Amino acid sequence: MIRLGYLEKNTFLEAVNKKSGANVLNCYQCGKCVSTCPVSSYMDYPPRVIMQMIKLGMKEEALKANSMWFCLTCSACSGRCPREIDIPAVMEAIRHIAIEENYVNKTKKVKEIRTFHNIFLDMVKRYGRNYELRMMAEFNIRTRNLFKDMHLAPKALLKGKITIGHEHVKRGKAIRKMYAMADKLEKSQKG
Amino acid sequence: MTKLTYFPGCSAHGTSEEFDHTLKLVMKTLNVELEEIPDWNCCGATSAHVMTENLALSLPLRNLVLAEKLENNTMGIACASCYSRMKSTKKYMDEHPDKAKELTSSVIDEGEYTGKVEIKSMLQFCYEEVGVEKIKSLVKKSLSGLKVACYYGCLLTRPKGVTQFDSPEYPMSMDRIMEALGATAVDFDYKTECCGASFSISRTEVVHLLTGKILEMAKEAGADLIVVACPLCQSNLDMRQPDIEKHLGKKIGIPVMYFTQLMALAFGYPEKELKLSKHIVPVEEALSNIGKVVETPQQPTKTKKAVPSAESEAK
Repeated sequence: MIRLGYLEKNTFLEAVNKKSGANVLNCYQCGKCVSTCPVSSYMDYPPRVIMQMIKLGMKEEALKANSMWFCLTCSACSGRCPREIDIPAVMEAIRHIAIEENYVNKTKKVKEIRTFHNIFLDMVKRYGRNYELRMMAEFNIRTRNLFKDMHLAPKALLKGKITIGHEHVKRGKAIRKMYAMADKLEKSQKG
Repeated sequence: MTKLTYFPGCSAHGTSEEFDHTLKLVMKTLNVELEEIPDWNCCGATSAHVMTENLALSLPLRNLVLAEKLENNTMGIACASCYSRMKSTKKYMDEHPDKAKELTSSVIDEGEYTGKVEIKSMLQFCYEEVGVEKIKSLVKKSLSGLKVACYYGCLLTRPKGVTQFDSPEYPMSMDRIMEALGATAVDFDYKTECCGASFSISRTEVVHLLTGKILEMAKEAGADLIVVACPLCQSNLDMRQPDIEKHLGKKIGIPVMYFTQLMALAFGYPEKELKLSKHIVPVEEALSNIGKVVETPQQPTKTKKAVPSAESEAK
């Protein structure tokens, strides 16, 4: 175990470890995750640096980064990590902490990623299922980029790739209740 | 007749209708009856676990609880993303029974969770439960002459602790099935690289880069087509391909089919049942290679031996 000689307690590290179930202190900075990660070139800090930031208690820098928003949870890194650290779980933990504590990266790219996820979740809340065409259309409306991917639409529609009719979950009430109760539980755990 | 609980996933009624349709044909030939989970909901896929904790567990958990009401021991899942969410939720619930109790009593209103239903991807079901030998025995029209690159993507074999199936680095199960159908599976180094998944809509440039590499590599490996088992991979590799060609500045033109489409074809179903018109990159030319003599393999057999096979990995 690495001792960093810190006098104050590293509460950030503790929170990340608890949330992710991983032990970030096990990271010995080999960098295998960086060379494996398909999206590390898009990140402010690659996974290895994020791990070190957590170990050093650099909470604000880590939580404001775009790294965890680009993580695709493909699990290539954790499969190759010689210390068997669940890196996607660590990324997920800092993403959740960033949301809870309002540390979110304000760049356009991250905003768009979040917008997509919110549209997805709203759609499932409404119908219990998700629909690709509506999701694409809503994304374009909410990001004010109406013509994005529009060149794909005629062909996709013609080929029946995208269906217009919707099949909803019959017990939609149960889904909406699930959303409300999960949210309530989230808040009670936080407080 | 074997019965199997079936979770189709949302894209089965949208972009991947041909996967759902041919899967049902294949299961008919294999004498397996698919029993769809009544009133299933979206598993939350990429988005729920990105944004929330409890909802990300509750959405799949409702399906798991509903699946237990059917009397089958195994559930087959078509979509790789659904498979990953449902199976990792099952693992978490089995390890944290208190959490399962908390969620089923306060969040989900569908009854208890016991964890008795085992989860398999449809690829895993075909490989483990049906087996390559049986598949081989049912082939009516050999696919010899067809060279395929089997693309597994991330979630069918990773993380190993969740999927417990095949090799996370170089899986071979789909390759073995394709060989059983008579096709030639080429060595393909990018078979588990990520395609960019849901960034298809929000960060399209990432998908162009990642999927572009996969397409180029499959072409280089000498494949006539790419075989997949995931609707999102299919849509990234196929629907985005014309854009990727523009991005790369060169023509690739490699069709992308579901493994069940090729199984249905080999099992003797007519081509019109494969719903080939749904493909953006046309498949007809690639399929015309069936019956032709394959020239000597482009890679020496030595490298083939060096690759760990699915069977030895599984041990």
